[in-house]
This record gives sequence, C-alpha cells and structure tokens, in this order.
Amino acid sequence: MYRIKKQKLIGMRLLSFITALILVTSFGNMGYAQNKITVRGVVKDQAQQTLLAGVSISTAKPQKTIAATDSKGAFTVLVDAGSELVFTYAGYTPIRKTFLSSVSGVEISISPNNNSMQEVVVQGFKTKTRETSTGSSLVLSGKALQDVPVSNVMELLQGKVAGLNIQNNSGSPGGMGTINIRGLSGSTVSADGFLTPTSPLFVIDGVPVDMNSNFEYGFQGGGAGISPLSLIPPEDIEQMDVLKDAAATSQYGARAAYGVIIVTTKRGKSKVPIVQYSTNVFVKTPPKLRETIGGKEERAFRINSILQYDTSYQHALSLINSTPFLSDSLNPYYNNATNWQDYFFRNTYNQQHNMSIRGGDDKFNYKTNLNYYQENGIIQNTGFKRYSLSMNALYAPSQQFRMTVNLSSSLGQKKNGSGVGLVQTGVASSANSSSLLPPPSLFSDNNSALATANVVNNNKTINISSSWDMQYEPVKGVRFGNLLSYNLVTGSSDRFTPSYLSGGTSEAYSSNDRNYTIYDRTMLSLTKTLNRVHNLSGYVFNEINATSFRPNVIQLSQTASDQITGPIGYSWANTLGGTLNSLNETRQHGYGGSFSYNYDRKYVLDFNFRLDGLSTTGAKQPYSNNPSVSARWNFGKEKWMEKYDWLSYGSLKASWGRNIKPTGNIFDTYGRYNVGLPYNNNPTVSIDYGTIPNEHFLPETQTQSNVGIETGLFGDMVNFTMEGYYRSVDNQVMGIDLSNTSGFSKMNTNAKSIVNYGMEWTTTVRVFKPTNPFKWTVSANGSMNRDILAKLPDGLRQITQTISDGGSNVPIVYRLGRNVFSNLLYYTQGVYANTENVPVNMATGLRQALSTTSGYLSFQAGDPRWTDVNGDYIIDEKDLLPIGNPVPRFVGGFASQMEYKRFQLNMNWSFTLDRDLLNASFAQMMQNFAKPATMSALVPIDKYNYWKPTVPGEKLGGGTVNARYPNPFDFLRAEQLQPYRSNQTLFLEDGSYWKLNNVVLIYNVDRKMLTRLHMTSCKLTLTANNVLTISKYTGPDPEMVTQLGRDNSGGYPNARSYAAGINVQF
Amino acid sequence: MVTMNSSIKNIPGIAMSLLCAGTVLLLSSCQKFLPAERETVGSDSQYTTDVYQPILGRTTNYTNNFYQGSTTYPSTFRVVNPRRRNGQPAPELTDVFPVLVWKTAYTGLEKSVEEIDAKREIQNRPLFEIGEHSGSFTMWAAAKSSFMRAQPDSGYLFDVELSNSGGRRYFRNLKLQPMRERPYEPSNYNASTGQPTSNGVTPSVVSSIKGLTTDRYLSYGDIEVYIRKVIKQGVTPTNSLTFRFLDTLYNPIDPAKFATTDWDNLVHGFNKVMTNESVTYKVAYPIPAVALPTRFTTGDGKRAKVRFSYSRLGFGGATEKATLGLDFAIYEPGDWEIVFAFKSDNPKFVND
Repeated sequence: MYRIKKQKLIGMRLLSFITALILVTSFGNMGYAQNKITVRGVVKDQAQQTLLAGVSISTAKPQKTIAATDSKGAFTVLVDAGSELVFTYAGYTPIRKTFLSSVSGVEISISPNNNSMQEVVVQGFKTKTRETSTGSSLVLSGKALQDVPVSNVMELLQGKVAGLNIQNNSGSPGGMGTINIRGLSGSTVSADGFLTPTSPLFVIDGVPVDMNSNFEYGFQGGGAGISPLSLIPPEDIEQMDVLKDAAATSQYGARAAYGVIIVTTKRGKSKVPIVQYSTNVFVKTPPKLRETIGGKEERAFRINSILQYDTSYQHALSLINSTPFLSDSLNPYYNNATNWQDYFFRNTYNQQHNMSIRGGDDKFNYKTNLNYYQENGIIQNTGFKRYSLSMNALYAPSQQFRMTVNLSSSLGQKKNGSGVGLVQTGVASSANSSSLLPPPSLFSDNNSALATANVVNNNKTINISSSWDMQYEPVKGVRFGNLLSYNLVTGSSDRFTPSYLSGGTSEAYSSNDRNYTIYDRTMLSLTKTLNRVHNLSGYVFNEINATSFRPNVIQLSQTASDQITGPIGYSWANTLGGTLNSLNETRQHGYGGSFSYNYDRKYVLDFNFRLDGLSTTGAKQPYSNNPSVSARWNFGKEKWMEKYDWLSYGSLKASWGRNIKPTGNIFDTYGRYNVGLPYNNNPTVSIDYGTIPNEHFLPETQTQSNVGIETGLFGDMVNFTMEGYYRSVDNQVMGIDLSNTSGFSKMNTNAKSIVNYGMEWTTTVRVFKPTNPFKWTVSANGSMNRDILAKLPDGLRQITQTISDGGSNVPIVYRLGRNVFSNLLYYTQGVYANTENVPVNMATGLRQALSTTSGYLSFQAGDPRWTDVNGDYIIDEKDLLPIGNPVPRFVGGFASQMEYKRFQLNMNWSFTLDRDLLNASFAQMMQNFAKPATMSALVPIDKYNYWKPTVPGEKLGGGTVNARYPNPFDFLRAEQLQPYRSNQTLFLEDGSYWKLNNVVLIYNVDRKMLTRLHMTSCKLTLTANNVLTISKYTGPDPEMVTQLGRDNSGGYPNARSYAAGINVQF
Repeated sequence: MVTMNSSIKNIPGIAMSLLCAGTVLLLSSCQKFLPAERETVGSDSQYTTDVYQPILGRTTNYTNNFYQGSTTYPSTFRVVNPRRRNGQPAPELTDVFPVLVWKTAYTGLEKSVEEIDAKREIQNRPLFEIGEHSGSFTMWAAAKSSFMRAQPDSGYLFDVELSNSGGRRYFRNLKLQPMRERPYEPSNYNASTGQPTSNGVTPSVVSSIKGLTTDRYLSYGDIEVYIRKVIKQGVTPTNSLTFRFLDTLYNPIDPAKFATTDWDNLVHGFNKVMTNESVTYKVAYPIPAVALPTRFTTGDGKRAKVRFSYSRLGFGGATEKATLGLDFAIYEPGDWEIVFAFKSDNPKFVND
C-alpha cells in the first residue's frame, strides 16, 4: 500500500489552488484500468470546512454528469478505473481528479473562484466574462450585503464601489437616500430645495425599475414614502452589477443616462434542494441628541438678556411682566423642564426572517424566497414592514432552448408619524419648543408633539413584478430571444388627524396611486468563431416600453367627528380631491444592434448603436441616435508579457458612447388644453397659455468617455483598477420666461449642460498566501470627481434661483464654469470687537450699515463683519457671493475581511470628503437667543466663542476680540440685523466625514455539531451598523443634509443598530 | 509561489505610464473645452441717473444710482474721458485736490472741536470721484464754482467703464452739471445763478410768541432770519457760530431773555460765550457734521436744530411757552452768525 501525494494547480493565473491532500489508495496497477470502481467520499468547502450539497460530479471524457452530492455532501459513483472525475459547483473552481481503484472516504475540498477575470459581468443585454467586457462596471457579490439588516439594501453599498456616491441622508425606515454614479447628473432644483433625483436605472431580474420617474415617493408630500428599492429582500440577492460608463450601459439606452445597477437574485444550482433560513434580531438606537437648556436656567437666560439689551430698565420690566411664561414662574403650566426630544426618540427592537428553498441543475432549477422584515423607527409612530415572496425557475431541456421565469411580489407597510416620507417637520418644530412648557397632553399647547404619536396613518406599497425570458437556437450560433416583463407598483396612504390635534379641524387624507411598466425586448443574436481565434458576435433587437402613473388624492376637512371620518358631513368648501397633475403616460420604442469582435480574447472591440423614440420628445426629431464604441486590450496575454509572471492579468480599455434619459412630459412638447366654464350650456376648451409647446424638445443626453487599466499582480493577490472619465449631461430642462408679446409665459427648453470628469481607483489586496489559515483581504476604493456647469440658456453666465426649503432658504446660483450650484452668501470675516472697527464712509462720515426694509442700520460692536463687495458701505443683496460646493470631491471606502478558521471579521469604512455644508439648523438655534419672549428651545451657549461686551450692558463699547459668533442676545436689533442669518459663510462648514459603516463578526459552526443537528451549514453573526462618524462638522451628522448641502432641521436621523443573526442551511 | 521578478523590463511600466499620462492629458484637455468661471457684465445693467447736479461747496454722495441687473460683483468702475460740454478736456475733474474726508465715524457725542477734527483728515482726491466697485459718485466739498463749470453752464460729460473678469462695457455721455454754492440752508440764493433772491429766510418754528404792541401771536412772516459769514479784515477766521436777536429797530435783544433755552445743548458747539447781545459757540463745520440723527439735529439728521424758548404767564394766568426755532445747515467753515430779526413787532417777555 502506498500513498500518492498530489498537488495540482488549476488554470494559468489561478489565485487559489488546492491545498488538501488527496489520498488515493491503490492495490493494483494500470492493468485494472478497464474495470469498474466505486468511489465514495464527501465534498467540502475548503475555507469554511462545510459540506457542500449539490456538487455536480461528471466524467471528463465523455463530458457527462453522473452524480451530485447529497444533502450531507456525500457521493458515491461507479466509474471505469482510471477515469478523471470533475467536481463542479457554481462559484467554485472545478476540481479534476483521477481514480485508479475503488476508494471510500475521499475528501474533496473545493474553494471559491477568486479569479477576477473569470467573473461573470453583465453589460448590455449579455453576460460576458470580465476579460472580454469593454465597459466600466463592477460586480458586487450578494454575500457582502446579507449580514447587516437594513430596510434598503443600497445603504450597504456606501463606500463599496468607486464612483458610486451614496448618501444615506434619511434614516426614515423604508426610505431611500441619494444615489449618484460619477458625480452629479442633474441640476434641476425644485422651489422647495430638492434636487431632482438622478438615481441609476435598476434592472431587477430583467425588470427595469426607474427610481426617478415618480419621485413623489419619499420626497414631496403624498405617496406612501416607500422606495421600491426597500422592497427587495437583501438576502435574496446573488449579485449586483454597477454599470458606469456609456459603453456598459449603452444597451439600456433610454433611461440609462445615470448609470445602471443590475440586481440578480439567487437561483437554484444544487441537485439536492437547499432550504435556507436566516434571521436577524436588531436594536436601533437614536443618535446623540441635541443638548438643551432646561427649566429655571432657560428662564433666567431669557430674563437676563431682556434686562441687558432692552432700551430701558422700565421697558425691560414691562416686557418681562407682560410675558407670562417669564413672569408667572409658579404657574404649573410654565413651571416645567420638559425634554422634548425624549418624547420623539426611542430605542426599538426589530427583526427579519428569510426562508428560501432552491434546487435543480442546468436543465431545470427553481427558487422560492420568503422574506419578512420589520423595523420600528426611532421616531415615535414610524416604522416599516416588508413582506415579500419571490420565485424563479429555469427550464432548459436542451442546449437549444432555454426559458427563465421570475415572479416576485412584495408588500411594504409604512408609518410616517406626522411627517411625510423623508421629512419630519412636526418633530422638528416640537423639539424646538421651550422646556418651560408642560409635556404633551390633551391640555397642552404643543399639539404637533401629540400628533406625532397619535396621528393614525397607514401607508402601503404593493409591488408585483414578473419577467419571462425565452431563447431558442435553431441553428448553432443563431439565437432568438424574447424578454417580457411587467412591473406594477401601487401605493395607498391613509391618514387621519383628529380635531383635538389640529385646532379643532380634523382632516382625513387618503391617496392611492398606480404605476405600471411593460417592457418587451426581442433579439436575434449570432455567434461565430473563425480559425479558433476570431470570435465574432452580434445581435439586433427591438424593444418597447410603456409606463403609466396615476395618483389620486382626497382630503376631507372637518369631518363629522373624530370617530366618523366620512363619507359625509365634512366641510365641502375646504375639501380637495381628484387626480394629481403628476399623472403621466410614457411610451418608448428602441431598436438597434451590437457587434463584438475579439481576437483570441486578447483584443476586444465592441460597437453598439440604438435608436430611441420617446413619446415626450418633440415631433421634429422623435428618434435619437445613441452609438457607442469601446475596446479592450488584454496586454497580459501578449507573448512578450509571459515572462513577467508576477502579472496575473493586465488590460487597458477605452470607450465612448451616448445615452438618453426621458425628461419633461408630453405637455412640454405638445402643449395643453384647459376645460373652461360652459358657454351656452356647451363646454368650452381653451389653450393653456402657461407653457408654449416646444416641438424641438429633446431628451436629456449623456455622452461619456472612459479609459481604464486593470491589473492583477502576484498571482492575483493584488488587484488594481484605475479609470478616468469625462461625461457631459446635455439638454437638461430649463424653463425660460418668454416675452409677453408671444402670448405664452414660459417655454421649457433643453438649455442646460453639466460636465463631470474624474478618476476612480479600486485596489484589493489579499495579504496572506491562500495556504495560510489566516486570510485577510483589504480593499480600498476612491473616486475624485468634479462637476462643472457648462451651459445656460440665452447666453447667460449666471442664474439665481430662490429656494424656500423651510430651513436656510438660501438661494442657489448657477454660474457657468463653476460647480453646478453654489450658495448665495454673505462672506463673514469675523465679528466687530469694537464699534470703532466698523469701516466709515469717507464721504458721509457714517459707519457701514445694513440695508433693511426700514432703512439703514449701522453696524456696531458685536455685529458680524460681512464683506462689502462693492465698497459702498452698505451691506445689501449686491454683496452676496456664490460660495461653496455641496457635492463631495472625493468619495470612497475601505473594507477589511479577516478570516481565521471558523471566524470571520468584516469591517467597512466609507468617506466623503471636500464639500461644503450650510449648518442652517445651528443658525436657527442661535436665532432663538434673540427671541427671549418666544417659547423656543435654547441650547447651551457657553461652548461657543461668541461676542460679549467688556462691560455688561454696554452696547457700543468694546468686547470679545476675535469672537467667532456675533452677539446673540441683542434682541431689539436682531430683528433687523439678523446676525445669525443662515446666508453667511459663518455657517458654511467643511462637511467631510469618515464613517465606520459596519462591523460584522461571523462564526461558522463546527462540522461535527452540524452533523449531529442534521444541518449542512450554520452561521452566527453579530453586527453593528452605522457605528461611528468622524467629522469636523459641528452639526449632529454631516450625512443628514439635503442634496444642496443644507442641514435643515426636520430630517429623519440615522439610527445606529446592533444585530444578532443566525443563518442555517439544510 | 510566484515572486516579484527582479529583472522587470519596462514594457508594462511604459504602458502604464503612457496610460496615466494619457488620462492626465485627457483630463487637463477637458478643462480647455469647458467655460471658465468668470464674472458677468450684464447687458441689462445701467445707470439709473444720467444727470448729476450736485451743489458745489458741499460733499454730495450719489448711491444706488446703478442698476446691477445681471452684472456680477466684484466689478470695477472707472470714469473715462471727462470733458467739458464743448469737448475740451476738463483737468479740474481729473486732477486731485485736497479734500476733507472722515476717518472715524462721527457720533454726535464728541466733547470738543479737536475731537471732531481728529476724526477727519485731508486727502488728495479727484473732486468728482466714482466708487471703484459700486459705481456711486461723490462730489467733494472742495469743488468750487471759481474753477468748476457751474450752472447755468451746461457742465461736463463723462463716460463710465465697467469691467470685471467677464469683460467690459461703457456707459457713455453721463452729465455732470454742478450748481453754484449755496453755503447754507435754508437758502435765499437762486440755485443756478447763485444770486440772492431775498434778504433772509424764515424761521422753522414760531410758536406762542406774542407781539409786544399788537398783542397778537407772531407768525413766520414777522421774523426774518439772516445767516451770514462775518469776515473781519485782518482777523484770522475761526470756526464759530453766533446767534443774535434784533428788535424792530435793529437793536439787539438780550439772548438771556429766552430764559428756558437749553443753551448748553443748543448746537454741537463748545466754549459758549454769552453776552447781552449774542451767544457764540466754537463749532466744527459743516453743521451738521454728518447726516446722522443726534440730539442736535432734526429727525433725519440732515439739518441742525436750534430752539430758543421762554415762558411767561399769558392772559388769564396760563403759562405760555414761546418757541423760536430754525433748522439749518452751514457747509462752509468760517465765523458765521445767525440773526433773528423781529420785523413787525417785538416779542413780549413779560407776564400779562
């Protein structure tokens, strides 16, 4: 008896190779080769030492599947002696093994496929290996997204993909933050300060889902406030592909201008059915809350500032005496120290469960996934629940025919408290109440606090999506395919505010909306290989897409009672209802083709072309051309590179291409008729003179160039990718005012352009050799991006837009050649320590003054020193300057994955650097000090360096030198002066931050234990999410800001969560 | 295990550095195609006032005379080609002259003339000056009709150049038509000829002053006010202000008879000298020093306010508080006196 020790390296540039010793016992010699032998054994995962069920075992010649491992990973095969067996399992490197005689107790270890070049990427409508893909894209495994329980899976992508900027600027359960690929894509800002969202297009199992078209969701009133992304269970995700450049997204044409994210759910791939159950229980805790001054201290503060800064002592006394909450301190109504924030924020306990059953082989496989997620928001009366059921099946009886069916349905339920979607203004205004007021009750004045907890509201979104993909190959190399998908999202929202909460006027609000998308694509593809090295492929396709959205709302005012909420008895005069004017119906038709050639997988060349017609495009040019061309050179495969064996692979790529995105609506193109009052009992119809039809209206166009290099070094232990891009987004919609002689007041034109350019880096380092039991993978990515405004209508170089966002209300400036939008601000140079420091007009002998509605107010000691840009000694709107860039210059992240035996520790960091935030909520808080007779919250002020007079009460004398903040207490002048106005650079801060997104500790249960419990794998996890944010920003959270970089109060703070989870597989 | 090959040839290095260089080139060339960030010179911007008619001898400041429109600041304004109406050059507009400018803000609380003077200094500046970044205009008090083209001459023409990083633009043929000096207000001089049109002016307040002989309340027409500069040969002029009162026969009335007058705070003057003929203060000119409301000025701060008063028992034993007042301004330094002459009847100071 002898033993053969054999080690085999698979593949040329393979990272991992087999370390296990394969023991083969042989009694005879090669003469026994033709005899049948029996091989028994188990297959296990090399890293986790878990048994793998459903591993296919096939003979090498002829290639034929003969068996698969059972649920315990065991197999028994009867083969000819000397046969080579191939063990294959999806996602793992296949193992080949030759057996000469019967053997039992064979242990086959297979390890996950880490060869990055063999990764399957989805670009265009085809899946390719990464070595033949020419576009810029990145693949993310679903595994990285499944240990942290979140309502919206995109939250976990923060810092994971170079060039993907995710800001979780709302902690609202079931909501969505902002997603931008490669910088800012749009520049349209609504009057209330929301940037029109430019999320990438999501394609979920072949169903395109546009997150932008109905952005009423979660943003502006109405709607259920549930993002369609929140309805995807993260546990079911197999892989996400982030497509960044125009070549990669080209085939998604008509909506792909902002990038594409392809979500692929899990499939069955094991002959033996796998039943997997995972659960997480998690605690959410509110972030650190704002400190406030409470009770007696607050009253003393107020009285003191009145005594010091009123015109006279007598007047001060009379003001105090006529303000009951200051003078009537023994009245129980005013004798309190209420911590308002305590009434809104809470710790919550939450859970999620996921169950999936999947199995099958290449010919037929199936999957069913069942998911439940429940999260109570950290703000009272808010929360989110998700129920989802999805299945897919693949049937391919032969190589020539293949059919895939996906069906998924989900239900989201959300409670918004007194807010809508992302915004919680009710909480913000109540938390800003004076601590002297009594806690919320039926008898207290502060109803918004009570309303937060007691408003009855129920919002629901149901999503049903299905896709059916069929392919047939009658002749080798010629393949017909058709993909049909249907997506229906319907939402409803009910809210009832009883009369005792809203000044005696009850209100019942009810809305429902329906949004469907039908998508069909037919294609014919051809593949041909000539002389074994010339690989040609191409396809032509035709696609149609129809979407429709229709929201209805009814708002009954003053219902019969707080119990009877309709349908009669309400005040008809104050009641509104009907279909909202955001209803739309859009059709899109596209056709085109693609041609791809590669020489021995070394030189790759791709051409794409598509023509897109949109129902919202002007009649003059309904179709737009969208070509793209891209190439790749795998220089690592060149002969002359072979001697550099430290280079596993290396490639260069470049692309150029164009996509469009439908914007505007059919009324911009064709105009609108109004139904008027009846005339002679006949209905009248008249032209709407608001907006003139623009028959030259175009869709938004994105043109992007991309160059990149990809390398793998030292046996794929180091991967490095660098890309540079230049992108212009043209034809952005802008309404321009028309001359009054035209009869119409406005026209929507395609007059704005922005340009983004930047670079992206991704590095992955596997620190130890694959043989080392301690494994450590470190990856880092980063991107640098600049956005430039490149074009404005009418040859203008600058346009100012007023914003009323209920917070800062600072206008924005679009200025050509500058970052896309800037704040219009006064430049604060400090605080006048003395009145003598105020500049004096040489001619008039007067001090510099502020222009107010009631004349000029001279500056004095303790006032902010604003730059007088035009030097006229008057501070007015002419001295406002465009300052600041809210869009970060650098975003990226780090990930560390450590593995030792059964333990695994993952950490994810992300960073957002170089951006300017306007701390408007701090400005508002400081303004409260100048309203001593108004009941609002006061914050501890001692830690701020503000101006104090040297002699208390001396108004024109000297005071603190080099104070950062002006005098907050001079309440008589503050009304005019507004020293703490938010439109000044005093509140413009650096919003850079580093964030430890999450820490995950995983333990894989020992195999012996598993056998006893009849499981195939069991994984225990401990998770902390949103752990730490490091920032110089003085506000509560630099991420909780609007897209315009304004920290307005009223946001929904991000919670920290701690989870314990278990994941078992049978 | 593979190791780093020590004899790496430079081919991949070259490839990579070529790519890097290419990327940098691409990114830097992008800059060229993008518009540069610049200020704007707006086509809708303009001067809202074309004709400037400052009164010589006093500092006049025109602000808010430029409509910004779509022009962005900071911008630079410059007066170009100032010329007389006949096209001749106007050196009096381009040369610099010593002018009195404020260094520190006047508050109205100064305790001496020296303290006020310390807040001012002489600087050499053009007499008609443009605000460099605002486009406002200042005509300094040092501009006199002795060397300026004053009305009824049609004055001067000039152009303004507006420039910033976005370009430049000219606003042509703005008109400067100075008026002759009127050294005090209220004035009895004709605005364009500079010739007096009456002997004096009328007081601002005449209240409850009973005539001695007619026994009626005197009115504005009964009192004439002469504001005049006293120039004595051989005496160096100081800056002073004297108040006198004359009866119908031009005999002096003792100022002390205006018994309830707040003499110490009558004007922002110092070193009061009171005789039985006059009251004199040392003052700083112009009066008021700046257009700032103080205790010595009217509510808008544009005129100094003097009030003389006395109290007497009227018919039936009721107290009558009589007031004589004048709101005035004096722009020229020197020894000035303000004379109140009772023309038709003398005031009655005794009780009824």
